[in-house]
Amino acid sequence: MKVAISYPPIINDRGQKAMVSQNRNVQFFKTPTYLLPVVHAQAATWLKKLGFEVIWDDGNAQLKTYDKWYQDLVAMAPDVVVFESTTPVMNFYWRTTSQLKKALPNTVFIMTGYHSMRRPEETLEEAPFDIVLRSNHVDFVLSKLIPAIAGDSDWRQNCDIEGLVIREASGKFRSTGHFRQVEPLERSPIIDRDLVAWRNYAFENGNYLQTPGTYATSVVRDCMFGKCTFCRYNGPDLTFSILPVEKSLDEYERLINDYGVKEIFDDSGVWYRGKEAREFAEGIIKRGLHKKGCYFGFNTRFEYLDKDTIELLAKANFRFVLIGLEAADEETLVKLNKGYQLQHVERSLKWMSDAGLHPHLTVMVGYYWQTREQLRQTVDFVKSLMFRGLARTMQVTLCTPLDFTPYHLECISKDVMLTKNYDDFDMSKLIVKTPIPHSEYYDAVKELYGIAFHPKFLLRQVRFLLTFRKRDWQFLFTYGIRAIRRVRNHIFNLTSADAEPKQGTLNPPAGNSLT
Amino acid sequence: MRSGLHKVIGIDRLTDLTYMLRLERNDMSFVPGQCFNLGLPDTAVNREYSSYSGIYDEELQFLIRQVEGGQVSPKFKHLRAGDTVEVDGAYGMFVIDPELIETRKFYFIATGTGIAPFHCFAKSYRNLDYQLIHGTRHGNECYHRQDYEKGRYINCSTADSNSEFHGRVTDYLKANPPPVDAMFYLCGNRNMINEAYDILRSHAISSSQIITEVFF
Repeated sequence: MKVAISYPPIINDRGQKAMVSQNRNVQFFKTPTYLLPVVHAQAATWLKKLGFEVIWDDGNAQLKTYDKWYQDLVAMAPDVVVFESTTPVMNFYWRTTSQLKKALPNTVFIMTGYHSMRRPEETLEEAPFDIVLRSNHVDFVLSKLIPAIAGDSDWRQNCDIEGLVIREASGKFRSTGHFRQVEPLERSPIIDRDLVAWRNYAFENGNYLQTPGTYATSVVRDCMFGKCTFCRYNGPDLTFSILPVEKSLDEYERLINDYGVKEIFDDSGVWYRGKEAREFAEGIIKRGLHKKGCYFGFNTRFEYLDKDTIELLAKANFRFVLIGLEAADEETLVKLNKGYQLQHVERSLKWMSDAGLHPHLTVMVGYYWQTREQLRQTVDFVKSLMFRGLARTMQVTLCTPLDFTPYHLECISKDVMLTKNYDDFDMSKLIVKTPIPHSEYYDAVKELYGIAFHPKFLLRQVRFLLTFRKRDWQFLFTYGIRAIRRVRNHIFNLTSADAEPKQGTLNPPAGNSLT
Repeated sequence: MRSGLHKVIGIDRLTDLTYMLRLERNDMSFVPGQCFNLGLPDTAVNREYSSYSGIYDEELQFLIRQVEGGQVSPKFKHLRAGDTVEVDGAYGMFVIDPELIETRKFYFIATGTGIAPFHCFAKSYRNLDYQLIHGTRHGNECYHRQDYEKGRYINCSTADSNSEFHGRVTDYLKANPPPVDAMFYLCGNRNMINEAYDILRSHAISSSQIITEVFF
């Protein structure tokens, strides 16, 4: 049986590509970042180990046009096609699958992703999908589902693997119940790098200071906190599981020694903390991997890592730490269920920057309650952190309700949504009612990205050179140029948001829309 | 108020490694089963703990097992009455749908300090029809078993043969098929949860009846 795990190129009429993989918030960029979809890569690896012919079909990373990707997929005629989607590209996937099903009538189409897993019937009604996964543990489900399809011609009626909604032969939808919440993560294989053509993702990624870089097999599935209202890793149907430290260390060793990787990022919602974080850093040092010229990075939360652990991580050659600073007012943090307090933010960042780590802030603006004062607090606080060198880089996004997260449901129940068209959910503009004009949030975003060109920020980067750390010199002379390019991208998108009523037409041309 | 400093009332030592942290409540509200982030003032490090006390209790209680080499739990152990702890919360959805309390039986399965949310349930919901299966190594880890109505608490001890069941909770589940129409709540280490999940599913219990909270 031939299984394609497919990511079609999604290109708007401004020539921008949508970054969809790994449930990232979809944004359209001219200069794309190619993210390895880690969970689906594990699924592909698992299926290959089970003896299936797996086609790793990432049209984005493989630099295909939409037409070329479409023609290639039809020519390969897989028995099963697996897609991953999220709110802003649901219409695109529905249209694409409607076309594909005509060309490949015997192929089983499976939809995965957080939007459809929370509204599976909607996707089955809108497009001729055969199965929608209600699980984000795609690797675990596919490792059972594909053999079930291969081994039973009457699988539509007989398959009872939990966490699916299946289109029966009669056309009716059949649910197999909730998916299993907890899976022992170590049962899923470490990613087969050759299968997924890892080098396609090794260079075009703004998070890498050195290339080739890669994403590690995530050590945490879902999130150990899992309560932030805007986040997909939140809900009664989700929990988390964790990969043993030694197994992850083995992968790092292989990536460095066998593949020559120079930067490894773990995109787990939140990486190890406490004992596991220290064991991991000690393991890196014990294996001598900290002296191989490879940087390491991860996502974390404020108040998760203490000073000693941070210093140990720095000693192990960790560099990039991505950390959410969603707002600079307590009211917003409480509403978002963030679970950290502003009073500790500076200290946490100081520990990181003193140790030589490069904290990257992920900032959001545009909550439906956010006042002018709250917005100003956020802008001023972030600028202050950046000017003082407590954070090295940052990104700002417009908080967009997506994928039926608690924040999304809250926006619906409070009747603050301005649109029901999923195409509008691409983060290029605000889609909720706000207490001040949207233009003020856009201006705030521009002001924050403008930090990159501010003399105070530039002077601070020059002062970092006095530490004589290689990474600080690289930061200024290599990463800086790339960062400026990306800042221009963000500002271009926002400038256009006001000028155009819609983000653009997606390929294939829109033929239907959500009612 | 969602976060603030709470005075320590006391530390009740339960075993060598496990203790109950008792804090002034300060009108903090929560739903049974939810957790709080706790940290020492000005340390900028916190950890999540489920509430051990019920919603009608005057104080907040947390059942804590000291993590060897941990950054928070060993320090809490040395707190004295009058010291303060930063409390932030409450969070989480490991909760009971109140509408089900009158109509469903609840089956709670825990290991170690994973019993905390079930203690909170038992103290908060007077009419709850439940069975609690608690896995421990030794009999002295049956924390506050007197708080549960007679017959509702079953200790599965791997080291002590005088407990209700000698063996692991999963051995108990294999030997004593659970009621198929109950709601199942699992809290504790992931190995137990994974194994218990498989056992429950083998009894044709629907995955929608199983709710889990993994310790980390």
